[in-house]
Parts: sequence; C-alpha cells; structure tokens
Amino acid sequence: MTASADRPTWQAIPGYEAHLLRRVGQVDPTSLADYEAHGGYRALRAALEMTPAEIIEMVKASGLVGRGGAAFPTGIKWESAARQPVTPRYVVCNADESEPGTFKDRVLMEGDPFAIVEAMTIAAYAVGAEQGYIYVRGEFRAAYERLANAVAAAREAGYLGKRVLGSDFSFDIELRRGAGAYVCGEETALFESIEGKRGMPRQKPPFPTERGLFGRPTVINNVETFANVPHIVLNGPDWFRRIGPPDAPGPKLFCVSGAVERPGVYEGPMSVTLRQLVEVCGGMRPGRKIQAVLVGGAAGTFVPAEHLDTPVSFEALRAIGASLGSGAVLVVDDSVDMLEVVERITRFFAHESCGKCYPCQLGTQRQWEIVRRWQAGHHRPDDAERLQDIAHAMREASICGLGQTAASALMSVLPRMVTRFEGGNHVSASDADH
Amino acid sequence: MTPSQDEAVADILVRWQPYGRAGLLPCLIDVQNHLGWLPPDVCAQVGEVLGVPLADVYGVATFYSRLYTQPVGRRIVRVCDDVACLANGSPALLEACRTALGLAPGETSPDGLVTLEVHPCLGHCEHAPCLMVNDQVFGRLDAAAAERLARAVRAGEAPPK
Amino acid sequence: MSQQVTLTIDGHQVTVPAGTTVLQAAETLGIEIPHLCYHPALTPPAVCRLCVVEWEGARTLVPACVAQVRDGAVVRTHSERVLRARRTILELLHSAVDLSEAPDALAYGQALGVDPQRFADGERRHFPVYEDNPFYVRDYAKCVLCWRCVEACGDDMQFTYALSLGERGFHTHIATFFDAPMPETTCVFCGNCVGVCPTGALKSLEEHLLEQGIPPEHLSAEKRRRPPLEGNRE
Repeated sequence: MTASADRPTWQAIPGYEAHLLRRVGQVDPTSLADYEAHGGYRALRAALEMTPAEIIEMVKASGLVGRGGAAFPTGIKWESAARQPVTPRYVVCNADESEPGTFKDRVLMEGDPFAIVEAMTIAAYAVGAEQGYIYVRGEFRAAYERLANAVAAAREAGYLGKRVLGSDFSFDIELRRGAGAYVCGEETALFESIEGKRGMPRQKPPFPTERGLFGRPTVINNVETFANVPHIVLNGPDWFRRIGPPDAPGPKLFCVSGAVERPGVYEGPMSVTLRQLVEVCGGMRPGRKIQAVLVGGAAGTFVPAEHLDTPVSFEALRAIGASLGSGAVLVVDDSVDMLEVVERITRFFAHESCGKCYPCQLGTQRQWEIVRRWQAGHHRPDDAERLQDIAHAMREASICGLGQTAASALMSVLPRMVTRFEGGNHVSASDADH
Repeated sequence: MTPSQDEAVADILVRWQPYGRAGLLPCLIDVQNHLGWLPPDVCAQVGEVLGVPLADVYGVATFYSRLYTQPVGRRIVRVCDDVACLANGSPALLEACRTALGLAPGETSPDGLVTLEVHPCLGHCEHAPCLMVNDQVFGRLDAAAAERLARAVRAGEAPPK
Repeated sequence: MSQQVTLTIDGHQVTVPAGTTVLQAAETLGIEIPHLCYHPALTPPAVCRLCVVEWEGARTLVPACVAQVRDGAVVRTHSERVLRARRTILELLHSAVDLSEAPDALAYGQALGVDPQRFADGERRHFPVYEDNPFYVRDYAKCVLCWRCVEACGDDMQFTYALSLGERGFHTHIATFFDAPMPETTCVFCGNCVGVCPTGALKSLEEHLLEQGIPPEHLSAEKRRRPPLEGNRE
C-alpha cells in the first residue's frame, strides 16, 4: 500500500484543539480556493495592514522558538535580519526534514502547503526580503509537488510576485530539492547547497541573519516554525502563550513512531508527557513493553522507561539530559536488540558526516566501527573510554550540530552497552587490530 | 546518449544557465532524472554552461547520496533500515528484497534494470516499515508484500498498489 | 587607527586591534596553539579543530584560527577540556592517515602525550601513489584533508581549480574531475599545492624518486619515463 493510503496518521491530542494540523486532511492541498475558504491568507492581509516592526514584535512576544531542533527565538532572528543595513535579504524555509524519526514537516507540506507559502510571505514582509527559497528534502516528492503547485497558484493570484496584493511589497519563492544529504538540514550547509556547492556547514559566526544565503542577511526557519506564524498574526501573542507551559509556549507537533499501535504526527502542548504521547498512539503493540524512547531522533538521546512521565518541555527534558530536538519520539520495545538500534544510529552518522571537520569525519567512523565490532561479539576493555573521548571531541570541537550530537544517543546507553560485555568476550588490543 | 536525450539535456542546460553556479544542484538533478545517472561528458557540459570548475562539479556530484556518477538501475529500490523501520521489522523486508531481486545492497542487476540500496530514514516513519521504488513510497509492508513488490519491480511491471 | 580590544588569554590580559584572531592574540603573548589546516596565506577552512580553545560562556570550544577577539573575553588555550579534544583528534588522525611526514602533527602529538595506536583497530584510508605527471606525486594515504592544496589551486593563489573534494565523511578525498590524472585537468603545474602541503602527501617527483632510492645521476632519465603532458585539457 502506498503512504497515506488508509487511516489518517495525524491528529490533535484528545482534549486539545489542532491549529497547525487544522487543515491537514480537511482541505484539498492543491486548491488555493479551498485554502482561502478555510481561513487561508487572512493572516497575510492582516499583516500587510501592520508595520514590519509590529509583526516582529508580535512574533517576539509570542515566545515562538524554532521547531527544527535548535529552539532559537524566532522573533529575535527576524529582528536581527531586519536590522541589517544590507540588501537583498532572503527568507529560506528549511524543508530538508531528515532527522530519523521525524516526518511532521512532510505532513504539513503535503497537507497544507499554502500555509507555508503564506507564512514565508509574512516573514519576508517583516524582514524586508524580496526572494525566498524552500529547500525540500529530495525524498519528499509529493511535498515538493504540492509546494510547487502552491507557489504557482499563489503567484497567479497575486499573493506572490510584484506588489503583493497591491501593496508596495514584492516577494517571490523558488523551490530547491535536496539530493540525499542529512547535513543539508544544517542551515549554513543548506545555503551552500543552494549556492551550488558541497553541502558542508560553515563556521559560525557570522550567523545567517548577518551573512546567510549568498552572503546576505537571511532568515531561515523550519517548516513547522513557519506554520505557527499565521496563527500568531491572527490570534495574537497572548493566545499563543496560553498554549503549553510558560517556558515552551505554543502548539507543537510530535512525531511518534516505532513500536506503538498508531504511529503518526500528534499536535499538542509541550506540557504533555512521553507516556501520554505513547498512550495517544494506542499504546504499545500487544504483549510488548517499552525498552526506551529515542527522543529527538538520531541526534537525540534514549530516555529509559522510568522517565516516561517527563513532560516534553525544554526544561523538563533538560533535567533528565534529553532534548526534544525536532520532535521525534521513537518508541523502542523489548523485542528489539538495543545494540542493533545503536548500530543504525552510529552508521547513520558515519554515512551522513560531511567530512569537513576532523572530529566528525573520523569520530563518526570510529564509533560505528566499535559498535559493529560489538555486534560481532568483540569488546575491548578500553572501548567505553575511547568512545567517551570521541564523543567529547565531536561534541566540543565539531563545526556543526551533526558532529556535536553524533554521539548523544550512544552515550545515553553506553553504561548498558558496557555492562553487557562485562565478564566475557574481551579481546586484547593487538587482537582487535586485525 | 540518444538524440532525444541530447535535446532534453540541452533544454535543461538552457533552463539553469542564468543561475550560474546556483543552478548546479537542480541542473544535476534534472539531468539525472533524464539519463539515470551523471556521465562525465554531461557533467563537463554542465560545468561549462554554468561556469563551474569541473572539479567542483564532480565534488558536488559525489557529495549527495542520490546523485550517481556511475550507471545505476533504472529502478532503485531503497529499503529503509533506520530505527523506526527496524522497530517494525525492516530486516525481513530487506531480506525479501535481496531474495526477490537476487541483489545485495549496492548492487545493480546485470540488465541495468534494478539497483537495491539500504537507505537511512526515509522520513515516512508513520508507515514503517517502508521502502521506496524511485520516488514512490510503500509503507507498512510485511515480508510477503515486499517480496511481491520486488518481484514486480524485477519483472519490469508497475509496482502493485 | 583601528579599535583596540582587551581580553584575557590563559590569565594574561592582552590588548590587540579589533579583528585579530585568538590565534594571533595568543601568539603576541608567546602562547602557541597547535594548528594543522591554518596557513597564513590561505583562507582558514577551520577544519582540523586542533586550535580549538575554551571561550568562557560559549557552548562548545571555538577554533582560534578564525574566532576574533572580543572585549572582555576570557579564553583558555590549554585547559583539560581543550587538551582532551586535541589529543583525541590527533589520535583519530593517526588511525586513518600516515603522519610519518607531518612534522607539526607529530610534534603536537608528542607534546600532548598522544598514543598513535589508540584507534589503530579502525579502517585506514588507502590510496595508490599517483605518479601521473612529470612534476609531482600525490600520496593521499598521507593526506589529512586540510584543504590547503584545493585553496591554493583555487581562489587563494592560482585560480586554476583543478582540485576539489570528492565523496564525504570518512571517505572524503582530494579529487580532480572524475579523478582524472593531473595532465587531463586544468592543472598548470605551478607547484603551489606542493608548497603548502603540511604532510608530505604532495611532493616533487624529484624528492619522491630520491626517496625511492633512485641515484641523483639517474633522476632526469627516470623523470623522462613519466607520462608526458600532452592531453592536457587546456
């Protein structure tokens, strides 16, 4: 069966109203008229009645932070770009959703593509940009086509192009596709990719708001981050702050997958706990028990079953050494060998490291090799210490988030992995050389 | 290349020429969609038309895992083997594809029809376990369904829905 | 006159012009920070990460070769957090690359107490020695991917663009167009790449032949046996 064939795999958490997912599955995602009939483009019209500074103030006051993983305050980002004396400026939508276990942006792009286009237009008006780009993951063909259609229809209707809706503001959007590189989800690597270079991250500073795409001031936000913007413009920052805990306001999409009954994208406040998310999905498959939950995807950490009552707010997760990251909640049950899971994660980073900086280029390879050797039943007494040193070098000295997080998941289960080998199967250093 | 392929490539080059280097990645993607891979002579044309040093064209073409600088199958079966699919039985899917296609991951059938790949997370985890045939995603497959699918692909038939 | 900035490096206050890098500021205090990719004539790619330092308040370590000084900054260049990262990076490098002709890397390793065998159970990067032209050889088993040759060939010196990086991750390597032999590329054999290579991965054919035991008097005869330059794309 093809994807999205049977039952909806997106919904609001019971007792909670959907905002970001409101139109998904309810409207024809190829129809601008349908989008307008369901409240579409009211926010842009409202925004054009305000000054750019007023919009930025609103977004700042809302407390919206980036939903791609880094959780940087969106309003501050916009303000910083708007303040730059340099033009042209760019607005970029990071739709290169590639974090393992993450698929929320794809659901938004497939189900409500006009919302992304509208939100980017509001952002462009706020920061004074005339050109935007959407960089869509290469594997997401349906999302790409829906967005391409949305951009063309919006242009046709005067929502994009010269003098948007008769105002003095002009803005247009181009689409770009990725071609198989997780690292291009890193904002500066994404710029390099659009510029026709190898998608390797840049050293920051300078930050994108100062020197981003083509060396110009650039606002780059994740798909879901953009999706919040029209709601904030229409309903105001106070409305936004009333959703969720004070330190993590606004609606959030959670990608729950793995060994649950109904995996999917669930929308709710960040006060929900991991256990609630598992329950919303119909719980575990019959007869299965939770072994751990991988929160934040491959770049995240394993949260053991005893911490399931932790809310997914930034503070609460930080307290147990975890981070929500891109919103992936991947449930691993007791039927899966954790060593297999860890092998996939370490292989992933070895495959996706861009190779630019040494710690990541070499460290991702070595940690994968060590895990593979464990799979073959060989363990060296100094493996844990070696892995910890690799993790330190990658976390502290890598250029970008890929290397800085490439050891997180492994480190979170290292004690368990090591215990497993205690009492047997040691090989001496010289044996392992061969 | 056939004359019609020549023409298609020429059109692609004309389309992306105004972008210069910024047209490189989309141009390579479009060319590959037409030819199935990126032959050296076409890469050289791309570099000349867009004004990109040839070494850099190669650097970009080899950076992205979905660009191919060597011939691959007209149909690429990409089996997701990442965590969410693993938790839903992807090893059985991969085994079914190996058997039905008679290929190990990374191999292309001698007739150039099919390539089998193990792929990192495809971003369709709510439908795990899944695989892609070219750009099309197939989810919630069991081993039997994967095998039927792979046999159809191998036989050159349209993949069963 | 340019603006002056005062910061603290390893407990010493230092005042330098704005725009100075931490590496340069440390130098004025006589503090040496190891670095492998940095070369004063080239754009710092900041890839080797050996020059990372601890910058109070920063989430991660920062590369001294590109980090510019700021008023009031407090920097530690040799804390255990820094040394542990440098040590591990060098040990990882030893495990993949032949550093026998990389004097700087070896000296840093010695000073840091690096164990070159620590990750020796890992895969090494193997390449044949390319002897494809009459001027220099390329032995990429010795290449640390510092980017110097690529930059010297490109915008920083020669504007010839014969070199780029190929593949990615551990398998990244210096590449020509489809790995063509140098005479088939835009290479003009200026020798700048050989001049900036810090590890002996690039060296003159003469030097290479002498190392192979060819007697000096046979050098010219031996060099004539190398592929000629006809077929150069230019």
